[in-house]
Amino acid sequence: MDTKNAIRDFITHEMLRHALETPLGDDDQLVESGIIDSLGVMTLLSFLEERYALQISGDDLIPDNFSSISSIASLVEMRRTS
Amino acid sequence: MNFTFTPDQVAMRKTIVDFARQELNPGAAERDRQSLFSRQLWDKCAAMHLLALPFPEQYGGDGFDFVTTVAVYHALGYACKDAGLLHALTAQLICGLQIVLFASDEQKAALLPDLAAGRLIYAQAMTEPGSGSDAFAMHTSAQKTESGYLLNGAKTMISNAPVADRVLLFAVSDSEKKAFGGISCFIVARDAAGFSAGKAMDKLGLRTLTNGELVFSDCQVPASALIGRAGQGAMLFTEAMEWERTLIPACLLGEQERILEESVRYARERRAFGQSIGEFQAVAHKLARMKMNAELGALALYSAAALKDQHKRAALETSTAKLFISESLKQAALDAVQLRGGYGYMTEYEAERELRDSIASTLYSGTSEMQLNLIARLTGV
Repeated sequence: MDTKNAIRDFITHEMLRHALETPLGDDDQLVESGIIDSLGVMTLLSFLEERYALQISGDDLIPDNFSSISSIASLVEMRRTS
Repeated sequence: MNFTFTPDQVAMRKTIVDFARQELNPGAAERDRQSLFSRQLWDKCAAMHLLALPFPEQYGGDGFDFVTTVAVYHALGYACKDAGLLHALTAQLICGLQIVLFASDEQKAALLPDLAAGRLIYAQAMTEPGSGSDAFAMHTSAQKTESGYLLNGAKTMISNAPVADRVLLFAVSDSEKKAFGGISCFIVARDAAGFSAGKAMDKLGLRTLTNGELVFSDCQVPASALIGRAGQGAMLFTEAMEWERTLIPACLLGEQERILEESVRYARERRAFGQSIGEFQAVAHKLARMKMNAELGALALYSAAALKDQHKRAALETSTAKLFISESLKQAALDAVQLRGGYGYMTEYEAERELRDSIASTLYSGTSEMQLNLIARLTGV
Protein backbone atom coordinates (compact mmCIF):
# COMPACT_ATOMS: atom_id res chain seq x y z
CA MET A 1 0.00 0.00 0.00
CA ASP A 2 1.46 3.41 -0.92
CA THR A 3 1.87 6.15 1.68
CA LYS A 4 -1.25 8.12 0.79
CA ASN A 5 -3.47 5.08 0.86
CA ALA A 6 -1.96 3.87 4.11
CA ILE A 7 -2.69 7.26 5.69
CA ARG A 8 -6.18 7.33 4.21
CA ASP A 9 -6.84 3.84 5.51
CA PHE A 10 -5.65 4.71 9.03
CA ILE A 11 -7.67 7.93 9.25
CA THR A 12 -10.78 6.30 7.86
CA HIS A 13 -10.72 3.15 9.96
CA GLU A 14 -8.88 4.15 13.13
CA MET A 15 -9.60 7.83 13.68
CA LEU A 16 -12.99 8.69 12.27
CA ARG A 17 -15.93 8.08 14.52
CA HIS A 18 -18.48 8.25 11.75
CA ALA A 19 -18.60 6.54 8.38
CA LEU A 20 -17.94 8.81 5.40
CA GLU A 21 -20.38 9.02 2.52
CA THR A 22 -17.49 9.41 0.10
CA PRO A 23 -13.89 8.29 0.56
CA LEU A 24 -11.36 10.89 1.72
CA GLY A 25 -9.64 12.61 -1.17
CA ASP A 26 -5.93 13.38 -1.24
CA ASP A 27 -6.55 17.09 -0.82
CA ASP A 28 -9.62 17.08 1.41
CA GLN A 29 -9.07 19.48 4.31
CA LEU A 30 -8.61 17.41 7.44
CA VAL A 31 -7.98 20.16 9.99
CA GLU A 32 -10.51 22.68 8.74
CA SER A 33 -13.19 20.03 8.59
CA GLY A 34 -12.42 18.86 12.11
CA ILE A 35 -11.42 15.35 11.04
CA ILE A 36 -8.05 15.89 12.73
CA ASP A 37 -7.44 17.84 15.93
CA SER A 38 -4.38 18.06 18.17
CA LEU A 39 -5.05 14.72 19.87
CA GLY A 40 -5.85 13.18 16.51
CA VAL A 41 -2.45 14.27 15.27
CA MET A 42 -0.84 12.44 18.19
CA THR A 43 -2.70 9.28 17.24
CA LEU A 44 -1.71 9.70 13.62
CA LEU A 45 1.90 10.37 14.59
CA SER A 46 2.06 7.12 16.54
CA PHE A 47 0.98 5.31 13.41
CA LEU A 48 3.35 7.14 11.06
CA GLU A 49 6.38 6.91 13.32
CA GLU A 50 5.92 3.20 13.90
CA ARG A 51 5.02 2.22 10.35
CA TYR A 52 7.76 4.24 8.67
CA ALA A 53 10.34 4.12 11.49
CA LEU A 54 10.81 7.88 11.64
CA GLN A 55 10.44 10.73 14.10
CA ILE A 56 8.31 13.79 13.60
CA SER A 57 8.69 16.54 16.17
CA GLY A 58 9.31 20.23 16.83
CA ASP A 59 8.90 22.39 13.74
CA ASP A 60 7.15 19.61 11.84
CA LEU A 61 4.24 19.63 14.28
CA ILE A 62 2.26 22.38 12.59
CA PRO A 63 -1.27 22.24 11.24
CA ASP A 64 -0.16 22.81 7.63
CA ASN A 65 1.68 19.49 7.64
CA PHE A 66 -1.52 17.69 8.60
CA SER A 67 -4.02 19.65 6.54
CA SER A 68 -4.59 16.90 3.96
CA ILE A 69 -3.53 13.36 3.09
CA SER A 70 -1.19 14.83 0.48
CA SER A 71 0.55 17.10 2.97
CA ILE A 72 0.92 14.29 5.51
CA ALA A 73 2.38 12.01 2.82
CA SER A 74 4.80 14.79 1.80
CA LEU A 75 5.92 15.16 5.41
CA VAL A 76 6.50 11.41 5.67
CA GLU A 77 8.52 11.34 2.46
CA MET A 78 10.56 14.34 3.58
CA ARG A 79 11.40 12.71 6.92
CA ARG A 80 12.16 9.36 5.28
CA THR A 81 14.71 10.93 3.01
CA SER A 82 16.26 13.30 5.56
CA MET B 1 12.42 -5.33 29.88
CA ASN B 2 14.10 -4.35 33.14
CA PHE B 3 12.17 -3.43 36.28
CA THR B 4 15.09 -2.29 38.45
CA PHE B 5 16.72 1.08 38.97
CA THR B 6 20.36 1.45 37.97
CA PRO B 7 22.92 1.88 40.79
CA ASP B 8 23.16 5.59 39.91
CA GLN B 9 19.37 5.98 40.10
CA VAL B 10 19.32 4.19 43.45
CA ALA B 11 22.01 6.52 44.79
CA MET B 12 20.21 9.62 43.49
CA ARG B 13 16.95 8.50 45.06
CA LYS B 14 18.62 7.99 48.43
CA THR B 15 20.23 11.42 48.25
CA ILE B 16 16.88 13.01 47.45
CA VAL B 17 15.07 11.17 50.25
CA ASP B 18 17.66 12.33 52.79
CA PHE B 19 17.54 15.87 51.39
CA ALA B 20 13.74 16.10 51.53
CA ARG B 21 13.53 14.76 55.07
CA GLN B 22 16.22 17.06 56.38
CA GLU B 23 15.60 20.21 54.41
CA LEU B 24 12.02 20.26 53.10
CA ASN B 25 9.88 18.63 55.77
CA PRO B 26 10.59 20.78 58.83
CA GLY B 27 7.79 23.33 59.13
CA ALA B 28 5.64 21.80 56.38
CA ALA B 29 2.50 21.79 58.56
CA GLU B 30 2.97 25.42 59.54
CA ARG B 31 3.57 26.48 55.94
CA ASP B 32 0.35 24.69 55.02
CA ARG B 33 -1.55 26.57 57.74
CA GLN B 34 -0.16 29.86 56.48
CA SER B 35 -0.50 28.98 52.76
CA LEU B 36 3.16 29.87 52.48
CA PHE B 37 5.26 29.20 49.40
CA SER B 38 8.90 29.13 50.51
CA ARG B 39 11.33 30.70 48.07
CA GLN B 40 14.11 29.55 50.37
CA LEU B 41 13.10 25.90 49.91
CA TRP B 42 12.67 26.46 46.18
CA ASP B 43 16.26 27.68 46.07
CA LYS B 44 17.42 24.64 48.03
CA CYS B 45 15.70 22.37 45.53
CA ALA B 46 17.32 24.29 42.70
CA ALA B 47 20.71 23.88 44.38
CA MET B 48 20.04 20.12 44.41
CA HIS B 49 19.55 20.37 40.61
CA LEU B 50 15.92 19.28 40.90
CA LEU B 51 15.01 21.87 38.26
CA ALA B 52 17.82 20.91 35.90
CA LEU B 53 17.54 17.13 35.62
CA PRO B 54 16.05 16.58 32.14
CA PHE B 55 17.44 19.58 30.28
CA PRO B 56 20.40 19.54 27.88
CA GLU B 57 23.73 20.30 29.50
CA GLN B 58 24.48 23.02 26.96
CA TYR B 59 21.57 25.01 28.43
CA GLY B 60 22.45 24.50 32.09
CA GLY B 61 20.69 21.18 32.55
CA ASP B 62 21.98 17.84 33.77
CA GLY B 63 21.05 15.87 30.65
CA PHE B 64 19.40 12.98 32.46
CA ASP B 65 16.91 10.77 30.66
CA PHE B 66 13.25 11.08 31.53
CA VAL B 67 13.05 7.79 33.43
CA THR B 68 15.77 9.06 35.78
CA THR B 69 13.95 12.36 36.21
CA VAL B 70 10.75 10.47 37.00
CA ALA B 71 12.61 8.20 39.43
CA VAL B 72 13.99 11.23 41.28
CA TYR B 73 10.57 12.92 41.52
CA HIS B 74 9.08 9.60 42.61
CA ALA B 75 11.58 9.57 45.49
CA LEU B 76 10.89 13.23 46.19
CA GLY B 77 7.15 12.53 46.40
CA TYR B 78 7.85 9.70 48.82
CA ALA B 79 10.03 11.72 51.15
CA CYS B 80 8.78 15.30 50.86
CA LYS B 81 5.68 16.18 52.87
CA ASP B 82 5.24 19.55 51.18
CA ALA B 83 3.08 18.51 48.23
CA GLY B 84 2.50 22.12 47.16
CA LEU B 85 6.21 22.71 46.75
CA LEU B 86 6.51 19.55 44.65
CA HIS B 87 3.76 20.77 42.36
CA ALA B 88 5.52 24.13 41.97
CA LEU B 89 8.70 22.31 40.94
CA THR B 90 6.96 20.09 38.40
CA ALA B 91 5.18 23.11 36.88
CA GLN B 92 8.61 24.62 36.25
CA LEU B 93 9.92 21.43 34.63
CA ILE B 94 6.92 21.18 32.32
CA CYS B 95 7.51 24.74 31.11
CA GLY B 96 11.14 23.85 30.50
CA LEU B 97 10.29 20.72 28.55
CA GLN B 98 8.02 22.72 26.25
CA ILE B 99 10.87 25.13 25.61
CA VAL B 100 13.23 22.23 24.89
CA LEU B 101 10.78 20.63 22.49
CA PHE B 102 9.53 23.66 20.59
CA ALA B 103 11.58 26.82 21.16
CA SER B 104 14.32 28.06 18.85
CA ASP B 105 17.97 27.55 19.77
CA GLU B 106 18.20 31.26 20.61
CA GLN B 107 15.20 31.02 22.92
CA LYS B 108 16.58 27.91 24.60
CA ALA B 109 19.88 29.65 25.21
CA ALA B 110 18.12 32.71 26.59
CA LEU B 111 15.52 30.95 28.75
CA LEU B 112 16.68 27.55 29.92
CA PRO B 113 19.74 28.44 32.06
CA ASP B 114 17.69 30.63 34.44
CA LEU B 115 14.86 28.11 34.45
CA ALA B 116 17.09 25.11 35.17
CA ALA B 117 18.91 26.99 37.92
CA GLY B 118 15.62 28.09 39.48
CA ARG B 119 16.67 31.73 39.32
CA LEU B 120 13.42 32.55 37.56
CA ILE B 121 10.09 30.91 38.34
CA TYR B 122 7.85 29.83 35.48
CA ALA B 123 4.12 29.33 35.14
CA GLN B 124 2.10 27.78 32.34
CA ALA B 125 -1.08 29.75 31.64
CA MET B 126 -3.89 27.81 30.00
CA THR B 127 -7.01 27.77 32.18
CA GLU B 128 -9.45 30.68 31.94
CA PRO B 129 -12.53 31.58 33.97
CA GLY B 130 -14.73 30.14 31.21
CA SER B 131 -12.57 27.27 30.01
CA GLY B 132 -11.11 24.53 32.19
CA SER B 133 -11.51 21.01 30.80
CA ASP B 134 -12.50 22.55 27.46
CA ALA B 135 -9.11 24.23 27.45
CA PHE B 136 -8.99 25.22 23.79
CA ALA B 137 -12.22 27.22 24.15
CA MET B 138 -10.07 30.02 25.54
CA HIS B 139 -10.69 33.71 24.83
CA THR B 140 -7.33 35.29 25.58
CA SER B 141 -6.21 36.77 22.29
CA ALA B 142 -2.87 37.43 20.62
CA GLN B 143 -3.34 39.98 17.87
CA LYS B 144 -0.51 40.25 15.36
CA THR B 145 1.00 43.73 15.22
CA GLU B 146 3.88 45.27 13.30
CA SER B 147 6.29 44.64 16.15
CA GLY B 148 4.92 41.40 17.56
CA TYR B 149 1.69 40.48 19.34
CA LEU B 150 -0.83 42.34 21.48
CA LEU B 151 -2.14 40.14 24.30
CA ASN B 152 -5.52 40.58 25.94
CA GLY B 153 -7.41 38.35 28.34
CA ALA B 154 -7.26 36.65 31.71
CA LYS B 155 -6.11 33.30 33.03
CA THR B 156 -7.06 31.83 36.38
CA MET B 157 -5.98 29.19 38.92
CA ILE B 158 -2.54 29.17 37.32
CA SER B 159 0.08 27.31 39.36
CA ASN B 160 3.02 29.54 40.38
CA ALA B 161 1.25 32.61 38.92
CA PRO B 162 1.61 34.91 41.95
CA VAL B 163 5.36 34.26 42.16
CA ALA B 164 6.17 33.71 38.48
CA ASP B 165 8.88 35.68 36.72
CA ARG B 166 7.99 34.23 33.32
CA VAL B 167 4.75 32.85 31.90
CA LEU B 168 4.15 30.45 29.04
CA LEU B 169 0.89 31.88 27.78
CA PHE B 170 -1.52 30.14 25.41
CA ALA B 171 -3.71 32.53 23.41
CA VAL B 172 -5.88 32.61 20.30
CA SER B 173 -3.77 34.03 17.50
CA ASP B 174 -6.17 33.22 14.66
CA SER B 175 -9.84 33.17 15.59
CA GLU B 176 -10.79 32.02 12.09
CA LYS B 177 -9.14 28.68 12.65
CA LYS B 178 -10.10 25.89 14.98
CA ALA B 179 -8.03 25.24 18.11
CA PHE B 180 -5.54 23.23 16.10
CA GLY B 181 -3.93 26.05 14.15
CA GLY B 182 -5.59 28.97 15.90
CA ILE B 183 -3.74 28.93 19.23
CA SER B 184 -0.14 30.00 19.84
CA CYS B 185 2.22 29.97 22.79
CA PHE B 186 4.16 33.00 24.04
CA ILE B 187 6.75 33.71 26.69
CA VAL B 188 5.82 36.76 28.75
CA ALA B 189 8.05 38.44 31.34
CA ARG B 190 6.60 39.60 34.63
CA ASP B 191 7.61 43.19 34.00
CA ALA B 192 5.93 43.39 30.59
CA ALA B 193 3.69 46.45 30.33
CA GLY B 194 0.03 45.46 30.54
CA PHE B 195 0.72 42.22 32.40
CA SER B 196 -0.27 41.75 36.02
CA ALA B 197 -0.58 38.84 38.43
CA GLY B 198 -3.19 38.60 41.17
CA LYS B 199 -2.81 37.39 44.73
CA ALA B 200 -2.61 33.72 45.62
CA MET B 201 -6.04 32.08 45.78
CA ASP B 202 -7.04 30.27 48.98
CA LYS B 203 -7.47 26.54 48.49
CA LEU B 204 -8.56 23.30 50.18
CA GLY B 205 -5.16 21.65 49.74
CA LEU B 206 -1.75 22.16 48.15
CA ARG B 207 -1.74 25.37 50.14
CA THR B 208 2.01 25.89 49.79
CA LEU B 209 1.57 26.07 46.03
CA THR B 210 0.50 29.50 44.86
CA ASN B 211 -2.31 29.64 42.30
CA GLY B 212 -3.69 32.83 40.91
CA GLU B 213 -5.00 35.01 38.14
CA LEU B 214 -2.99 36.55 35.33
CA VAL B 215 -4.32 39.55 33.43
CA PHE B 216 -3.12 40.74 30.03
CA SER B 217 -4.38 44.17 29.09
CA ASP B 218 -2.96 45.46 25.80
CA CYS B 219 0.24 43.66 26.69
CA GLN B 220 2.64 44.10 23.78
CA VAL B 221 5.25 41.39 23.33
CA PRO B 222 7.86 41.15 20.54
CA ALA B 223 7.63 38.59 17.74
CA SER B 224 10.48 36.74 19.45
CA ALA B 225 8.10 35.91 22.32
CA LEU B 226 6.40 33.31 20.15
CA ILE B 227 7.37 29.78 21.25
CA GLY B 228 7.32 27.39 18.35
CA ARG B 229 5.42 28.56 15.31
CA ALA B 230 2.19 30.51 15.01
CA GLY B 231 -0.75 28.17 15.39
CA GLN B 232 1.31 25.46 17.06
CA GLY B 233 -0.06 26.09 20.55
CA ALA B 234 -2.57 23.23 20.73
CA MET B 235 0.04 20.83 19.45
CA LEU B 236 2.57 22.09 21.94
CA PHE B 237 0.10 21.80 24.82
CA THR B 238 -1.01 18.31 23.83
CA GLU B 239 2.59 17.15 23.68
CA ALA B 240 3.34 18.82 27.04
CA MET B 241 0.48 16.97 28.66
CA GLU B 242 2.17 13.63 27.98
CA TRP B 243 5.22 14.73 29.95
CA GLU B 244 3.16 16.38 32.69
CA ARG B 245 0.95 13.32 33.11
CA THR B 246 4.05 11.30 33.84
CA LEU B 247 6.07 13.70 35.97
CA ILE B 248 3.28 14.76 38.34
CA PRO B 249 2.11 11.16 38.94
CA ALA B 250 5.69 10.31 39.88
CA CYS B 251 5.29 12.58 42.92
CA LEU B 252 1.79 11.25 43.58
CA LEU B 253 3.00 7.65 43.54
CA GLY B 254 5.72 8.52 46.04
CA GLU B 255 3.14 10.15 48.32
CA GLN B 256 0.98 7.05 48.03
CA GLU B 257 3.89 4.83 49.05
CA ARG B 258 4.58 7.03 52.08
CA ILE B 259 0.93 6.89 53.12
CA LEU B 260 1.03 3.11 52.78
CA GLU B 261 4.21 2.81 54.83
CA GLU B 262 2.89 5.06 57.60
CA SER B 263 -0.48 3.33 57.60
CA VAL B 264 1.11 -0.11 57.93
CA ARG B 265 3.21 1.17 60.84
CA TYR B 266 0.13 2.64 62.50
CA ALA B 267 -1.89 -0.55 61.94
CA ARG B 268 0.84 -2.58 63.64
CA GLU B 269 1.22 -0.26 66.63
CA ARG B 270 -2.36 0.82 67.31
CA ARG B 271 -4.20 -1.69 69.45
CA ALA B 272 -7.91 -2.21 69.98
CA PHE B 273 -9.91 -5.06 71.45
CA GLY B 274 -6.69 -6.72 72.58
CA GLN B 275 -4.86 -6.81 69.27
CA SER B 276 -3.21 -4.57 66.72
CA ILE B 277 -5.80 -3.08 64.38
CA GLY B 278 -3.90 -4.49 61.40
CA GLU B 279 -5.06 -7.93 62.49
CA PHE B 280 -8.62 -6.93 61.67
CA GLN B 281 -9.39 -7.92 58.13
CA ALA B 282 -11.25 -4.66 57.45
CA VAL B 283 -8.02 -2.75 58.06
CA ALA B 284 -5.70 -5.29 56.43
CA HIS B 285 -7.70 -5.24 53.20
CA LYS B 286 -7.43 -1.45 52.97
CA LEU B 287 -3.67 -1.76 53.24
CA ALA B 288 -3.55 -4.62 50.75
CA ARG B 289 -5.40 -2.48 48.21
CA MET B 290 -3.02 0.42 48.82
CA LYS B 291 -0.07 -1.88 48.17
CA MET B 292 -1.64 -3.36 45.04
CA ASN B 293 -2.42 0.10 43.66
CA ALA B 294 1.10 1.34 44.38
CA GLU B 295 2.64 -1.62 42.55
CA LEU B 296 0.35 -1.25 39.53
CA GLY B 297 0.83 2.50 39.52
CA ALA B 298 4.59 2.05 39.33
CA LEU B 299 4.25 -0.19 36.29
CA ALA B 300 1.99 2.33 34.54
CA LEU B 301 4.27 5.22 35.47
CA TYR B 302 7.57 3.78 34.30
CA SER B 303 6.19 2.26 31.12
CA ALA B 304 4.88 5.72 30.19
CA ALA B 305 8.19 7.38 31.12
CA ALA B 306 10.15 4.82 29.09
CA LEU B 307 8.01 5.54 26.04
CA LYS B 308 8.76 9.25 26.32
CA ASP B 309 12.48 8.48 26.59
CA GLN B 310 12.16 6.55 23.34
CA HIS B 311 10.53 9.63 21.74
CA LYS B 312 7.32 7.70 21.23
CA ARG B 313 3.77 8.95 21.53
CA ALA B 314 2.28 8.03 24.88
CA ALA B 315 -1.02 9.87 25.20
CA LEU B 316 -2.85 6.68 26.17
CA GLU B 317 -0.20 5.46 28.59
CA THR B 318 0.29 8.82 30.30
CA SER B 319 -3.44 9.44 30.74
CA THR B 320 -3.79 5.93 32.14
CA ALA B 321 -0.93 6.47 34.61
CA LYS B 322 -2.24 9.87 35.67
CA LEU B 323 -5.78 8.65 36.17
CA PHE B 324 -4.88 5.47 38.01
CA ILE B 325 -2.25 6.97 40.31
CA SER B 326 -4.23 10.10 41.23
CA GLU B 327 -7.40 8.16 42.01
CA SER B 328 -5.38 5.57 43.95
CA LEU B 329 -3.68 8.32 45.95
CA LYS B 330 -6.99 9.94 46.84
CA GLN B 331 -8.40 6.61 47.98
CA ALA B 332 -5.25 5.80 49.95
CA ALA B 333 -5.36 9.19 51.68
CA LEU B 334 -9.02 8.69 52.55
CA ASP B 335 -8.37 5.17 53.87
CA ALA B 336 -5.44 6.48 55.91
CA VAL B 337 -7.79 8.92 57.66
CA GLN B 338 -10.42 6.23 58.16
CA LEU B 339 -8.12 3.70 59.77
CA ARG B 340 -6.81 6.34 62.19
CA GLY B 341 -10.33 7.22 63.30
CA GLY B 342 -10.55 10.56 65.10
CA TYR B 343 -6.79 11.03 65.00
CA GLY B 344 -6.95 10.97 61.23
CA TYR B 345 -9.36 13.88 61.26
CA MET B 346 -7.23 16.11 63.48
CA THR B 347 -5.01 18.70 61.83
CA GLU B 348 -2.31 17.84 64.36
CA TYR B 349 -1.57 14.71 62.34
CA GLU B 350 -0.55 14.49 58.71
CA ALA B 351 -3.25 12.24 57.31
CA GLU B 352 -5.71 15.11 57.18
CA ARG B 353 -3.34 17.29 55.15
CA GLU B 354 -2.45 14.44 52.80
CA LEU B 355 -6.13 13.89 52.09
CA ARG B 356 -6.70 17.58 51.34
CA ASP B 357 -3.63 17.66 49.11
CA SER B 358 -4.65 14.50 47.25
CA ILE B 359 -8.00 15.81 46.05
CA ALA B 360 -6.48 18.27 43.58
CA SER B 361 -4.62 15.45 41.82
CA THR B 362 -7.86 14.23 40.24
CA LEU B 363 -8.63 17.76 39.01
CA TYR B 364 -5.46 19.34 37.61
CA SER B 365 -3.72 18.28 34.40
CA GLY B 366 -7.08 17.00 33.19
CA THR B 367 -9.80 15.79 35.53
CA SER B 368 -10.34 12.07 35.97
CA GLU B 369 -13.41 12.36 33.78
CA MET B 370 -11.35 13.94 30.99
CA GLN B 371 -8.71 11.23 31.32
CA LEU B 372 -11.42 8.60 30.86
CA ASN B 373 -12.66 10.43 27.77
CA LEU B 374 -9.14 10.50 26.36
CA ILE B 375 -8.49 6.85 27.15
CA ALA B 376 -11.78 5.87 25.53
CA ARG B 377 -10.97 7.83 22.40
CA LEU B 378 -7.42 6.51 22.20
CA THR B 379 -8.73 3.00 22.65
CA GLY B 380 -10.79 3.48 19.53
CA VAL B 381 -14.21 3.98 21.11
